[in-house]
Amino acid sequence: MPEVAGVALRDDELARIRERLGREPSVVEVHAFDAQWSEHCSYKSSRHLLKKLPTTSERVILGPAEDSGILHLGEFNGERYGIVIAHESHNHPSQVVPFEGAATGIGGIVRDVLCMGAHVIAVADPLRFGRIDDLHSHQRYVAQGVVDGISAYGNAIGVPNIAGDVYFDERFDDNCLVNVVAMGIVREAEVIHSYAPQGADGWDIVLVGKATDASGFGGASFSSLTLDSADEDSNKGAVQVPDPFLKSVLMRASYHAFEFLRKQGLSVAFKDLGAGGIMGCSAEIASAGGYGASIDLDAVNVAIEGMRPEVVAVGETQERLLWVVPPEITPELLRIYNDLFTLPDIAYNARAVKIGTVTAEKRYVLRHRGEVVMDVDIAFLTGSIRDELPFHDIPAPAGTAERSLVTGVQLDELIERVLAHPDVCSRAPLYRRYDTVVRGRTVIPRGAAGAGVLAPVWGSPLGVALAVAGNPRYSRIDVRLAAEHAVYEAVRKVVAVGARPIGLTDCLNFGNPRKPEHYSELVAAIDGLARAAKNFETPFVSGNVSLYNESASGRAIPASPVVACVGAIDDIANVVTMPLKAAGSVLYMVGRPQTALGSSVLLDVLGRSDEHLPRIDYEAILAQHTLMYEASQAGLLRSAHAIGNGGLAAAACEMAFAALAEGHAPVGVRIDDSWQWTQGRVGNLEAYFGEAGGFVVEVAAADVEAFESLAAQADYIHEIGVTLDRPVLAIDDDAFDLHHLRDIWYAPLREVYP
Amino acid sequence: MSRRIAVLVFPGTNSEEETVRLLRDCGGDAHLVHWSGAALLPSFDAYVLPGGFAYEDRIRAGAIAAHDEMMDHVIAGAELGKLVLGVCNGAQILLEAGLVPGTGPVRHPTAAFTRNGPVAHFVCTHVHVKLSVKPGRSPITAALAPEAVIPAWAANAEGRLAAQENHLAELRNGDHIAFVYAHEKGNVDPTATPNQSALGVAGLVNRSGNVLALMPHPERDAWTFNHPDKRRGDDMLAPSGGAALFRSFVAGVQRS
Repeated sequence: MPEVAGVALRDDELARIRERLGREPSVVEVHAFDAQWSEHCSYKSSRHLLKKLPTTSERVILGPAEDSGILHLGEFNGERYGIVIAHESHNHPSQVVPFEGAATGIGGIVRDVLCMGAHVIAVADPLRFGRIDDLHSHQRYVAQGVVDGISAYGNAIGVPNIAGDVYFDERFDDNCLVNVVAMGIVREAEVIHSYAPQGADGWDIVLVGKATDASGFGGASFSSLTLDSADEDSNKGAVQVPDPFLKSVLMRASYHAFEFLRKQGLSVAFKDLGAGGIMGCSAEIASAGGYGASIDLDAVNVAIEGMRPEVVAVGETQERLLWVVPPEITPELLRIYNDLFTLPDIAYNARAVKIGTVTAEKRYVLRHRGEVVMDVDIAFLTGSIRDELPFHDIPAPAGTAERSLVTGVQLDELIERVLAHPDVCSRAPLYRRYDTVVRGRTVIPRGAAGAGVLAPVWGSPLGVALAVAGNPRYSRIDVRLAAEHAVYEAVRKVVAVGARPIGLTDCLNFGNPRKPEHYSELVAAIDGLARAAKNFETPFVSGNVSLYNESASGRAIPASPVVACVGAIDDIANVVTMPLKAAGSVLYMVGRPQTALGSSVLLDVLGRSDEHLPRIDYEAILAQHTLMYEASQAGLLRSAHAIGNGGLAAAACEMAFAALAEGHAPVGVRIDDSWQWTQGRVGNLEAYFGEAGGFVVEVAAADVEAFESLAAQADYIHEIGVTLDRPVLAIDDDAFDLHHLRDIWYAPLREVYP
Repeated sequence: MSRRIAVLVFPGTNSEEETVRLLRDCGGDAHLVHWSGAALLPSFDAYVLPGGFAYEDRIRAGAIAAHDEMMDHVIAGAELGKLVLGVCNGAQILLEAGLVPGTGPVRHPTAAFTRNGPVAHFVCTHVHVKLSVKPGRSPITAALAPEAVIPAWAANAEGRLAAQENHLAELRNGDHIAFVYAHEKGNVDPTATPNQSALGVAGLVNRSGNVLALMPHPERDAWTFNHPDKRRGDDMLAPSGGAALFRSFVAGVQRS
């Protein structure tokens, strides 16, 4: 057995490899299995759990099997269009080197969408950071570096950032979360798969992109270990180096290649190089088609001569993709990348090059300087392995909250504290650094609603909405219900813009699964996701797990299931935005206020706690969502906003702040004493600040009758107030200046992102 | 014969698709020309340089692209009187090449769009720009109304005009300031300018009026569905708003 440093394979796994090979594995083979059998690649402790998630519906073109999932969006001019969606994390790298880690996160997820034959149309980023006050300068440095990295990469490649969220919590002090979502558009007849198609025996394996270097060596197993600050310097070598400039050219060259292949009418394979590098990608693309592969490492375009074969084989140099094409196509493919888009002039030794062949024999063979350095059964290398880990059932907390909250704090002070809370305050200082409108397809940009909306098909009224959610405070109380709330919130934000939610992706960020308390959280969270997704009829079509989010001191992140929801819009003329439109409208709350305030922003600003999360009454909510959809189609909603952190009060303020633009007549809000519209079922504070969900909607006085007649089909529709012709928030007998409140709301993140 | 417009794609350009689509929707015969096809450029009648990060903004925005072979053809065409429009990174390239403001020799820039103030980072925000020369000053703006206000998105890290005092005076006196930042109703004050640009400048035109450099992107608020205040019942797919400048450009090209 060779001594191999920096490998996460366990002794029992090594013994299994030795037994199967009938010999000692070579150094290259040890590294290959280390990458391929890491949690990152193999999902060995999560795959069987993920099977519980619903993954099919009439909308699903491709479920979670390849680099991205695909959902049917709609038809235009006789063509069927699909939305390609992928979700990933780059948590460990971003904690170690925030700028590069976050940038390569965007870079990787974009390739996952691109390789399906899609044009990449949007990215979104759910972020979770530690405390960012003056006493936590390192955490602040991470929070700034991550945003700058996302900005630098996404802006350069010309993909708009249309959605995202951010939370700040001390339990992320040692491990930030950088989740990334990418979305693409593809004609369904032109999807390119990530497996060698039928008849691919003898086809060429063509590597395109950046010259392979030593960066990102050991990245897959690095992300499957806990972070040790003493190893920070050596960990930095496991982080890849981003090159958005090269990626921008690679994307355009690939779009050109798609056109060429479309004209040929050929079925080929295309796949992103991620974890496990050349080895991981070529083994999976061949194996998934029922083939083997033979790769010549000497053919690989390298940045440095004399690298060890295992570094060339499994290193995770960025900006690379792999094609499997018939040999007669290869010359034109090489010409597109190397001559038309001049890859070798764009970055040192970047190019497209044939590196191997698909074989009928189901072996995976690597050659280096004429010698075979790896020769294994390809199914053994890429096949599913499974870790049985202990867990226990996490029971839901018993009972419900019954008593109304009482506090001596005045309402105006409560509103100000809630608006200045890190989970409520304006995100504009952060997302202003992202290009949110490149490509010219934006229907609703960031800041104008809880979901971003694009018109992805040129000349067509089809629209697509995207929103993300996942409140880490909730999982403190009940991780199963927290996961359900993540789905509900993402769905709710999509419903608020007038879209139909059609599918989900998830990123499951948890602590070390070898500790039963964390693995049990994962089991419970997946249970919750499955329950919510079934109820909303929104299948999961792609996703990612990120385990081992834990520092050497044993401090783990809060269980963080993060969800993104895709919404379909038949006609972008019917979208609904968040800014209030006019004085004299009637305001409604669609949804049921509850007494439970557990983990709410309100309790946080009061320093209180409560062990009850709002419950989710799916039947009532589905009827409310139907109402929202029908009202938006009928043009009855002037504006709408999903209620979330900070409750109804924060939602109403955000709608009014968005209407305070220069040159527009101000629109204010009057909310009636909640006793009048809840009949005292909940107290005032629960009504104004509760986070049970629902919507605030603005209906023109002339449309009230039509809206109320539609609303008769749903329960819990409350008329809560009116819009005013002056910039105030009036609640019962109090009135607060909206400009003053807006300044309070805008200030906190401005400190971090000036 | 229809006049052909080339939309230039340098390595790193990222706004070419919406630019070429908008030109076509405005009646232009527009085509993408990539850097490896530079030799095709002399056969075109007009040039549009879209936004992005040409050559990765190495050295500074526009510095390398200004010396690209494609720019040799653009400069030669501009000297013949062909119309040239640069948006965002395209504007930066035109300034770096010395075509705009064109008060010195070509490739001798006298002004630059450089790092934003007060904080030097990328800012993406909705803005309005106001035509501050007479429409007839340039064939590119000739079809716009006097003092036309056009919506656009500023999306850059280097959009602040900077020049020495004497050069700024030349810009003012030579009628080079084509567009300034303004509020939606056309009123101009410092709060309308997102980046502390000198004199509130958003766009500059050269002496002979055939080359225009504009920092914000009108093509990102150019179809009705892009508008923040779109209304139900409007034709969402119609070019409008920022399309006015492109329509005027296309009209200018067809007259030329």
